[in-house]
Amino acid sequence: MTSGQDRLIFGEGTEPGEGVSAGAQSGTSPARRRRYSVMAHLSPDQRYRVRQSALDFTVLFVIIQVASIVAGTIWPNTFPYTNSANVLTGFEAIPLLGITAIGVGVLMIAGEFDLSVGANFIFSSIVMAMLANQGWPVILAALTAVAIGCGIGILNGLITLWFRIPSLITTLGTTGIWTAATLYVHGAASETFNVNGVFGTLTSGSVGVLPAELFWMIGLGIFAWAFLQRHRIGNHIFAVGGNARAANATGISVRQAKLIAFGFAGALAAFSGVLAASRVSVITPGGETDLPLQVIGACVIGGTALTGGTGTVLGMILGAALLYWIEDVLLLLGAPGFYLDAFVGALIIVAAALYTVSKQRRAS
Amino acid sequence: MSGEGSREGQTLLRMRDVCKSYAGVAALDRVSFDVDVGEIVGLLGDNGAGKSTLVNVMSGVVVPDSGSISWQGDPVSMRNRTDSAELGIETIFQDTALVGSMSVTRNIFMGRELTGRLGFMKQRAMREASGETLRGVVSIRGVTSTEQLVSSLSGGQKQAVAIARAVYYKRKLLVLDEPTSALAARATAALFDYIGFLRGQGLSSVLVTHDLYDAYKICDRFVVLGHGQVVMSATREEVELDDLFKFVSRG
Repeated sequence: MTSGQDRLIFGEGTEPGEGVSAGAQSGTSPARRRRYSVMAHLSPDQRYRVRQSALDFTVLFVIIQVASIVAGTIWPNTFPYTNSANVLTGFEAIPLLGITAIGVGVLMIAGEFDLSVGANFIFSSIVMAMLANQGWPVILAALTAVAIGCGIGILNGLITLWFRIPSLITTLGTTGIWTAATLYVHGAASETFNVNGVFGTLTSGSVGVLPAELFWMIGLGIFAWAFLQRHRIGNHIFAVGGNARAANATGISVRQAKLIAFGFAGALAAFSGVLAASRVSVITPGGETDLPLQVIGACVIGGTALTGGTGTVLGMILGAALLYWIEDVLLLLGAPGFYLDAFVGALIIVAAALYTVSKQRRAS
Repeated sequence: MSGEGSREGQTLLRMRDVCKSYAGVAALDRVSFDVDVGEIVGLLGDNGAGKSTLVNVMSGVVVPDSGSISWQGDPVSMRNRTDSAELGIETIFQDTALVGSMSVTRNIFMGRELTGRLGFMKQRAMREASGETLRGVVSIRGVTSTEQLVSSLSGGQKQAVAIARAVYYKRKLLVLDEPTSALAARATAALFDYIGFLRGQGLSSVLVTHDLYDAYKICDRFVVLGHGQVVMSATREEVELDDLFKFVSRG
């Protein structure tokens, strides 16, 4: 009987495992070095991690911003991009899209969608305003709104998992339900929401041209990044979106991971609603109908896969910023409003096509 | 490591009269199946004989309709993959159960992440452990980094990663469902050789395979399934390779 060997080798050749880097070491043999690669000095481990980051998209985004700032400086009158009012408007608008995009993006990584974030945004914030106007402490009302949003998200998840239907369909349905619920509990009139004190500072204060929303987006972005990339449950979300069967076979609770992602998306949509209400002091039922497709667009532009399993928080935030940038530039150039939809639509298609091509190239 | 190699001959896994049917069709019909400590059992049978269902029952992925399972003499009930892993059963599934969009390291630790405080992962420890495995235990040619995405690997490399994952956790029983379907001949021989090495360390294996020639050399015992029932069970001394072929094809 053979005693067997103590090491298993797959593939021909001598000592194939020697090439596996230890993580810390950075030596690569010159023969393996790609001639024009800027990543030549990195170890294989580092190279693969860079490829999975949003680096290429970040570079593109920075180039676009630098070009816009240069143009704004040269022609301050015809293209007032660097005008402080324009900058401030951008910093106030991007987080509302960006925070919602972080939630929806995490859910997309888990392989699910939420089209009801717009209806959730309005319903949660209008309930908050009504409670606050009835005399509730405003912070308690805001926390209630986030809890409601989280509940709406989890309900979407439960319906999707119970009936085994696509979440696109579930949330298409719940969009109608929560839009109607808004009209039922509040009516069609706008609700005012006036804030002051600590809550006002935290949600609509500012440091120079940097509004509170921007800090919330950055803080929530860091939280989401740490959760996705460093936490066990975040790892499960990637696994479940990448291959639910495999995840289940390795003992991951697919249900748990998806429900957490649904709840997170719902909570962030509601929180965006809270920030928006605080900023503009008025909530209009029937608003934010464009929000769901805009945030999904932002996520796709930022490299989140529509099929699940892939995405970065930085990509989601920059995707939202890029969508706003298009809107802003078109407005500054005086283009008619309907151009915006066409540009955003085209950009989403181009982004999806580019990611598909680059994915195929990497796989081969 | 099992550390119980001295208990050879003792029954590790005992399944009695296990039944499982899907929509009225019996996939397993009163199947009894034993694995002893330090034994390699070849589980054979034609397509649709019930091999994969039996593997899924052993792995906790499928809960049987009836029948009993005991582990080291104690009755157990496996409701999911986590239960079987806790007992010490590692399974290499036929479809490899890997997530292509994740790295080799993340796949090896999928569902069993090394965590510190509050459930945060010990990234460096996981990378080092998977690097250690790929350098010291299971070498895969062409895999230069543990951070490589599994989707960029070939079929054979993926199968090797699935094997590396199971070997990393080598506990008491290794269940291999068609582990060689995407492997080259030399890699198949190396894998079977390695299973023999693990047996020397007291590890038991259940090997589901079509590769009778190679399996015959390494298995201590053979169980042939046909139409959800055990049609033959014999030690290697009791059965010739030609007879095995007949039993498998007859079902």
